[in-house]
Amino acid sequence: MAVYVYSITAATHPRSLDGLVGVGEPPSALRSVCAGPLCAVVSDAPADLRPKRRDLTAHQSVQERLMAEGTVLPLRFGLTAPDDSAVQTALSERREEYTGALTALEGCAEYHLKAAVDEDALLRQILLDTPEARQLNDEITGGDASPDLPLALGEMVAQEVQARQDALATGITEALRPYARQELGSGPTGKDFLSVSFLVDREHEQLFLTAEKGLAGALGDEVEIRLYGPLPAYSFV
Amino acid sequence: MTVVPQSQTSVSRGGGSTGSLYDILELILDRGLVIDVFIRVSLVGIEILKIDIRIVVASVDTYLRFAEACNRLDLEAGRKAPTQLTDIVGEVTEGGAHGKSKGALSGAMEAVTDTLRGGHDDEDEDREKAPAPKRERPARRPARRREE
Repeated sequence: MAVYVYSITAATHPRSLDGLVGVGEPPSALRSVCAGPLCAVVSDAPADLRPKRRDLTAHQSVQERLMAEGTVLPLRFGLTAPDDSAVQTALSERREEYTGALTALEGCAEYHLKAAVDEDALLRQILLDTPEARQLNDEITGGDASPDLPLALGEMVAQEVQARQDALATGITEALRPYARQELGSGPTGKDFLSVSFLVDREHEQLFLTAEKGLAGALGDEVEIRLYGPLPAYSFV
Repeated sequence: MTVVPQSQTSVSRGGGSTGSLYDILELILDRGLVIDVFIRVSLVGIEILKIDIRIVVASVDTYLRFAEACNRLDLEAGRKAPTQLTDIVGEVTEGGAHGKSKGALSGAMEAVTDTLRGGHDDEDEDREKAPAPKRERPARRPARRREE
């Protein structure tokens, strides 16, 4: 029977998963499959797995519990192996890689940061700072019907938006970089101009959080910073 | 910029409300260890989420949307802006580019929201409305990428 695989831990990890359930409806039972110094947390795989809230939450809850008790290698959502012995084979074959990764992540957590800027505030500032844009805007709102003007204004403003967001993104990342071991950014999503993960070790956690707090304060309420963590190190496995 | 005591930053610790799950969705779906001999279940929804959530910025649609947003701004609180005209310009453009770019965005958001929040977690209903936002035109060049 196919098994859904959540995480890899050291065999010495307590893996006390009481009260948690696996993916699927009805929820599957969690168990461990071990080989040598490594164990994988698995459950029976449901026949028709989809990225539903319940299943994503189950996957995430397992990682969080394991993280609270030790070091965990979180797997990407949705991975299944044909059976328990395939899991054992994978653990044995990649034993060094996984034990190495577990050692490297010891005492570390991921923090994920997203930042968005209030668009009206940004545009207002751009118009106030850029006489050319201001003039175009005045001409358009003053009734000039030429269809070229909005396009010209829009392009000018879009470039300026881009430049300012890039500068903000760089500034935020550089302010936090000293307290992180690694970082990994991804493309902007939705309204967020910045989406970046940091790997932070316990020693630097308070400094990191203090720096982030200071940053959020300094940027004011026109820049919204959301920080999530400590999270299992999804981005650094 | 004004300096205010920060109130918006939230470190969502553990356990996760739906809100925080939503914001770390890309980590759970897109990152994490992959064991290549294992099979990733075919998760059609995931691919759609990944594509549609990346909003494109450098395009004519975007330019027009920005221009319109600028036109609507009241730059000086004291100044009496020709608001009526601004409103008319806004309405005219609304049916065009603005409507479309906004549609793509809310389409993606709805898809994600359906998957995550869904109001109720009913299996069959969820399956019916698998996230498949309509896209009115192919995505343009992703100008804002900052991939590493």
